[in-house]
Amino acid sequence: MGNCFKSSSNDDISLLRGNDTESNESTIEPPPFVEPPPPYRAQPEPQRRMPIYHPSPGVSRPANQLSEDEQIKIAQRLGLINHLPTGKYDGTNKKAKECVICMNEFLIGEPLRYLPCMHIYHKECIDDWLMRSFTCPSCMEPVDAALLTTYQTN
Amino acid sequence: MSGLPRRIIKETQRLMAEPVSGITAVPDEHNSRYFHVVVAGPSQSPYEGGLFKLELFLPEEYPMSAPKVRFMTKIYHPNIDKLGRICLDILKDKWSPALQIRTVLLSIQALLSAPNPDDPLDNNVADHWKSNEKSAIDQARQWTQTYAKSNMNNH
Ligand SMILES: [Zn+2]
Ligand SMILES: [Zn+2]
Repeated sequence: MGNCFKSSSNDDISLLRGNDTESNESTIEPPPFVEPPPPYRAQPEPQRRMPIYHPSPGVSRPANQLSEDEQIKIAQRLGLINHLPTGKYDGTNKKAKECVICMNEFLIGEPLRYLPCMHIYHKECIDDWLMRSFTCPSCMEPVDAALLTTYQTN
Repeated sequence: MSGLPRRIIKETQRLMAEPVSGITAVPDEHNSRYFHVVVAGPSQSPYEGGLFKLELFLPEEYPMSAPKVRFMTKIYHPNIDKLGRICLDILKDKWSPALQIRTVLLSIQALLSAPNPDDPLDNNVADHWKSNEKSAIDQARQWTQTYAKSNMNNH
């Protein structure tokens, strides 16, 4: 049995182990021709050390391969994220106990970020997500729309 | 190999402790990010009585990226192609890290109950569905009998 899961993050057919090992008649036969990997994984594996950015959902690129437009977009996104209020968990909020992203309980003193929809996450967890998609994971509310209305009413 | 994130450990434990009705998901003994999944065809659907094998893989970036899921058992469905790939928005652009393995599998089960030929992955099947729904459903039922009825001994 091959261990192909180490180099497995390239496309969703090859990364799934067992395609070639299970072949009773109830499973799908291998395709008659080799299909190109799905486009969202078609780019070469980014280098490890370089910070990876996500100029749009599903697109990831190392910092040195960003176009100028993408760099601007990311800078703007970082600016917007930094406008969102932060705080430290003090144990008084009885409703928000667990971060749905990492599924760990909030610990006293951990940095949190509050979204306009009032959903709360670890700062580190939600910032990672907001760089990919500017929506609240829990309610799917777009964050920037809410931000803009807050600015206008202030 | 780097350690398994706590979230994956927790999700696996919860899947084992409180399994979803009609669905089993068992992590591979050699790779804790790879799950052997069996979904029972929902009642009132042409897949009723069938047991469908799927594979589910949690990529390195999970939960920032969606799990990768594929049908291993042949299935006649407008949103599932010949390679078993699934057209489901939450596996693509509607993914959110608040979703879990459990919710993904429930959505796939729901997709079996409600095929959507207007958002097809397999055009031939979708055309069949739209031009003659009764005959398409018969075909789906036949495939269920032929391909999803084998003995499901999981190792
Ligand atoms: Zn967290
Ligand atoms: Zn929210």
